[in-house]
Amino acid sequence: MTETEEKADPPAVMIEPIDISKLDPDFREGIRSMPNGEELSACFACSTCTAACPIASTWKYKPHQLIRMILLGMRKEVLSSEEIWLCLTCFECQERCPQNVRVTDIFFDCKNLAAEEGMIPDSIVGLARELTDKGQLYVVTADWEREDMDLEPEVPGLSTEEFKTILKGTRTGRIVGGDE
Amino acid sequence: MVEVKTLVSNPVLVIGAGVAGLTAATQLADFGIRTVLVDRLPIVGGNAMDLYKAFPTDDCSYCFEGSRLRPGIRKCFYRSAILDQPNIDLKVNTEVTEISGSPGKFQAKLSVGPQYIDSKKCIMCGLCIECSNAFCLPSPQCQPQAVIYDPEMSDEGAKKAEEECPTKAINLGAQPSEETIQVSDIVIATGYHEMKPVSIDEYGYGKIPNVVTQLELAQILDPNGKSGGALVRPSDGGQVKRVMMVQCVGSRDENYYPFCSKICCVYALKHANIITLERDGTQVTVVYMDIRTYDRHERYYRVARDAGVRFVRGRVSRLEACADGTLDIIAYDSLLDKYLKFNVDLFVLSSALEPPKGSAELIESLSLHPASGFVGPADLTSENAVVAADHVYVCGAATGPAEIPESVTQARAVVSMILQSRK
Repeated sequence: MTETEEKADPPAVMIEPIDISKLDPDFREGIRSMPNGEELSACFACSTCTAACPIASTWKYKPHQLIRMILLGMRKEVLSSEEIWLCLTCFECQERCPQNVRVTDIFFDCKNLAAEEGMIPDSIVGLARELTDKGQLYVVTADWEREDMDLEPEVPGLSTEEFKTILKGTRTGRIVGGDE
Repeated sequence: MVEVKTLVSNPVLVIGAGVAGLTAATQLADFGIRTVLVDRLPIVGGNAMDLYKAFPTDDCSYCFEGSRLRPGIRKCFYRSAILDQPNIDLKVNTEVTEISGSPGKFQAKLSVGPQYIDSKKCIMCGLCIECSNAFCLPSPQCQPQAVIYDPEMSDEGAKKAEEECPTKAINLGAQPSEETIQVSDIVIATGYHEMKPVSIDEYGYGKIPNVVTQLELAQILDPNGKSGGALVRPSDGGQVKRVMMVQCVGSRDENYYPFCSKICCVYALKHANIITLERDGTQVTVVYMDIRTYDRHERYYRVARDAGVRFVRGRVSRLEACADGTLDIIAYDSLLDKYLKFNVDLFVLSSALEPPKGSAELIESLSLHPASGFVGPADLTSENAVVAADHVYVCGAATGPAEIPESVTQARAVVSMILQSRK
């Protein structure tokens, strides 16, 4: 005679913790060995960088958290984060850091690493395509502005052909061209 | 060389032969003042004995800067002080049981434990240690330079050792005795005790063998220790690959001690650095609320970060002992707002520093001002923080958690006050 049905124990933790042993300890050392990463480990998480950042209030991962994630070895999360691409590169964080961590430059390095692994947001690929297709990021569309200022509709002497050729041979070209 | 003259005969009683007490006693003695130095343990040195390397100099804890006037091995001055200074009457295994009388004329009743070993006769040949486990040499540099005897471990070998001791330094029939001395001044240098956090359930201390305190870790790391300085697990002697430390265990906690124990951040990081830099391939993680490496000790924090010590601001949420002796630990990282899961071999608690046994009685019997259980100054607004009452002084960690240089400075202030009072 069964008195009660066997119930599964409730899970010990409701939120699955991040398993430190599954993270990549080489990521920290990789970033640290780059020219901008020398002072990475000096970070003591005071969050001055986040206080300084003009746009981090809307970010999921704040600058100090991204640095902590690098230190812990959360390679995948950092390189796939959109924040490293949203960074304005205004260098406020880097200027204010009391431990001389090159926060902005480190995010730049992260972008390069992410690009090498093909983890670039579509919006950034779109920008690269603009560059390789048009040879310039901002094409004059509102020619009435030029007209108002008594300027001729086209920028005189502008030639974008050379840029297009050059960019196709660079990393920008590779980003757009996929696995070329 | 120091010329020793007896200027005054009224002796000073120094309670506690740790860093502060030793400094006060040797300096008073050097100035010609008779000093009775008592300690309840069989050897002097107090907590500093167990530190392996002491901050802020990372020297052997015997060798912090003492009196420059004294000859000795490097800066180690206690050796010569205790052996050669006739003005010091060192009484180990001794407790002060009662203090009566009036300021300037105190009567102190001393309970002197059985003097099984005559330290002046012992030549530390090791014969008794071979005969019986009841004898041991706590450290090659211990003071007094003599073996110690534990009557609870007595066996047949001990009797043989007593008979065969080449200098007849052993007397197993020694009995405890009592004596009352009259002293003019009392120096309280009773130090601190590291809390054994058995009642803080979530850390499993006292139940799980691989959960230790910082002072216990220091003893594992000591090259004179059982493992020869190798970082091993208490449970099975296996090599430790991953360590987690947790700060503020019992400190800054209204349920235990509301104060900051002040020096535990520094020595935790000192240990983290020794482990990371000198014990190859061992990863240390420190879980903290605030790192308080005050003053110049900030460099320990910087070195630790450079060395790759991992810091997690937050608290431990769960701890589980695994069958293989390791511990599964989940910690909450409040900076990331994430839970992190670790597997470690050794879990080290930076436990609160509490007043030693008997502090409350001592404070009561001399009508002193308690300060969180430690001895407070007689006058909070006075600059003489070492004056606890008329003819009663306090120095070192008896005033509250203190580092070694601070203890030495306070001990010297006490000496200065006593000298001024006798002008």
